[in-house]
Amino acid sequence: MPIFKTPFNGYSVKFSPFYENRLAVGTSQNFGILGNGKIHVLDLNPSGPIIEISAFDTADGVYDVTWSENNENLLVAAIADGSVKLYDLALPPTQNPIRSLHEHTREVHSVDWNPVRRDSFLSSSWDDSVKLWTIDRPISVRTFKEHAYCVYSAIWNPRHGDVFASASGDCTLRIWDVREPNSTMILPAHDFEILSCDWNKYDDCLLATASVDKSIKVWDVRSFRVPVTVLNGHSYAVRRVKFSPHRDSLIASCSYDMTVCLWDYKIEDALVGRYDHHTEFAVGVDMSVLVEGLFASTGWDELVYVWQHGTDPRAP
Amino acid sequence: MEKAFDRQKVLLQHLLPSSSSSFSSPLSASICLAGDSAAYERSSSFGDDIVIVAAYRTALCKSKRGSFKDTYADDLLAPVLKAVVEKTNVNPAEVGDIVVGTVLAPGSQRATECRMAAFYAGFPWTVNRQCSSGLQAVADVAAAIRAGFYDIGIGAGVESMSSNAMAFEGSVNPKAQDFQQAQNCLLPMGVTSENVAQRYGVTRQEQDQAAVDSHRKAAAATAAGKFRDEIIPVATKIVDPKTGEEKPITVAVDDGIRPSTTVSDLGKLKPVFKKDGSTTAGNSSQVSDGAGAVLLMKRSLAMQKGLPILGVFRHVISLMLKMSFAAVGVDPAVMGIGPAVAIPAAVKSAGLELDDIDLFEINEAFASQFVYCRKKLEIDPAKVNVNGGALAIGHPLGATGARCVATLLHEMKRPRQGLPLWNHINVHRHWDGGCSCS
Repeated sequence: MPIFKTPFNGYSVKFSPFYENRLAVGTSQNFGILGNGKIHVLDLNPSGPIIEISAFDTADGVYDVTWSENNENLLVAAIADGSVKLYDLALPPTQNPIRSLHEHTREVHSVDWNPVRRDSFLSSSWDDSVKLWTIDRPISVRTFKEHAYCVYSAIWNPRHGDVFASASGDCTLRIWDVREPNSTMILPAHDFEILSCDWNKYDDCLLATASVDKSIKVWDVRSFRVPVTVLNGHSYAVRRVKFSPHRDSLIASCSYDMTVCLWDYKIEDALVGRYDHHTEFAVGVDMSVLVEGLFASTGWDELVYVWQHGTDPRAP
Repeated sequence: MEKAFDRQKVLLQHLLPSSSSSFSSPLSASICLAGDSAAYERSSSFGDDIVIVAAYRTALCKSKRGSFKDTYADDLLAPVLKAVVEKTNVNPAEVGDIVVGTVLAPGSQRATECRMAAFYAGFPWTVNRQCSSGLQAVADVAAAIRAGFYDIGIGAGVESMSSNAMAFEGSVNPKAQDFQQAQNCLLPMGVTSENVAQRYGVTRQEQDQAAVDSHRKAAAATAAGKFRDEIIPVATKIVDPKTGEEKPITVAVDDGIRPSTTVSDLGKLKPVFKKDGSTTAGNSSQVSDGAGAVLLMKRSLAMQKGLPILGVFRHVISLMLKMSFAAVGVDPAVMGIGPAVAIPAAVKSAGLELDDIDLFEINEAFASQFVYCRKKLEIDPAKVNVNGGALAIGHPLGATGARCVATLLHEMKRPRQGLPLWNHINVHRHWDGGCSCS
């Protein structure tokens, strides 16, 4: 499968929910520590190399990207300077970004579009807060501030348009309902920072968390005192975790140990696949909703890989 | 710059959480001195780099006519070995291994000479892995894969003791007489076996019993078809010694196993190496021909190719079966007791206890050293060489290491609880004194 070389270090990769061959990639110069950022919109070409159909430069690193669920040309980016930027692929680069939302006081680390309501999205930041935005308003609808340290990820529940989860460096996972004044549930999920979380796409009570303690834990919000299971196998902090859109028990993860792992949390030998194609920290991973078994990953080695599960990502 | 520093701090916490003691990486946040455009390069902070700290050589002189024409090989090697440690003030005891390249001499003899040279140069102990060279091959391949030299490798061993005699070519360096340990390198194997029996009190009865057990277990394993998975049939020919007639045959079974051997039969055999000794043809390993090969690769590659994982060469944490390897040297006068020292070291380095191990494969060069190791380690005889060993199956010297891996890994596939470990005799020198079994 094809490989795409980015000029900066990869931070995030997301498949378009509209086009099965389209991806967005967020990258940052100098490992996201200092310098510019760049967003690449890529098209897979079945008979040749990956084609870059658009690229947007930013003044600071791009830590995450998310596609709109109701407009195939709309893209949101989490920028390290604290801003959240909206891009419209239908407009020329000079007219982009179409909006720059600057409320967070520190690096924005994640953005996630609401898949149920489709009119709103979340941003989470190192300023310890999560913000709710709608496309028609220039300021945030609400700020959720309970976490005591960086919020690395805030992800919508796939069934309930008002419910989301947030993962923080304060070692807690919090569940929120935007209609409630406070978080509805606090899970002290790990003894170390939690860097990522995701909801199961088939059971809206199940969540996965990924931590600096190298483990991934699966939780059931109905009995949240003990995890459903603990997945050990990464040798450094797990940077991102993602439930499969196609198989209820399948989880993908990527880690500072430079690998992308696949897990089936329901079986005893849960680690069902391990890909070591990256030569630097593996930071972004995604699974296509439209093509079963199609994976994408990116990392600090400035490479974007797209491959079918079971094949070698490096194979030409 | 403050922002950059803060970002580094956040990211560094992911790699080096402050409240944890399990991370020992010596990373610390610092501004890159080379600036933003610095290429990613390895510097003094990368402690895992392999560096060369000393390199010396002898003069090179004309063969047969030059200054070294009457110099022994060991006298050529010893000065350079001595120089690399003396000029760097490295304690010879800290040197983990000495690997010497050589081509023309018979391999086993030159290995012995190199070991003697190490003694001349002041190294306190040495390991000579002649009879475990098959195992050393597996370990070398594992190390090379880990080092990134290549992704797939084969560790193998072969011996045709029919074709090559066990003998020393040329004369022995008289200097050996001045070094007790070097002199011991030249002892016939059988004599070292007698030394082991005497020094550690292994009786004739115990040795014969071990031989009988080995034959019984090997015969049972053969009868049960346990070796069928690991033995690859070889189509070859055999020459009738009387008529000189050549016949094609296919060999698929070990032919040295004697199921009917009893302790009273073996008790009638005369000692071979010492008048009142206890080592006989019956309780020594057999002189054999054979080969073994082990295919190793990265786990990721094996998974990608959908290959079964029979074993893991140390380190890996998960549920996989573990193998461990350690070379620990002992006095050459008591050959074959290396496993008694090496097995605890190997088990420890794999992070296990001796009790965790369910299967041991200890080479049976002689019943004396085998019984001693088993007793010294206090391991359950039911866990050791469950399908017999070299006493019954045979000991094709260089091939035995690879043979043991094959036998152990196939046995490990059979239902059993716990983690097997495999070790092998790590100490051997030369084999002038091998025994034959009739």
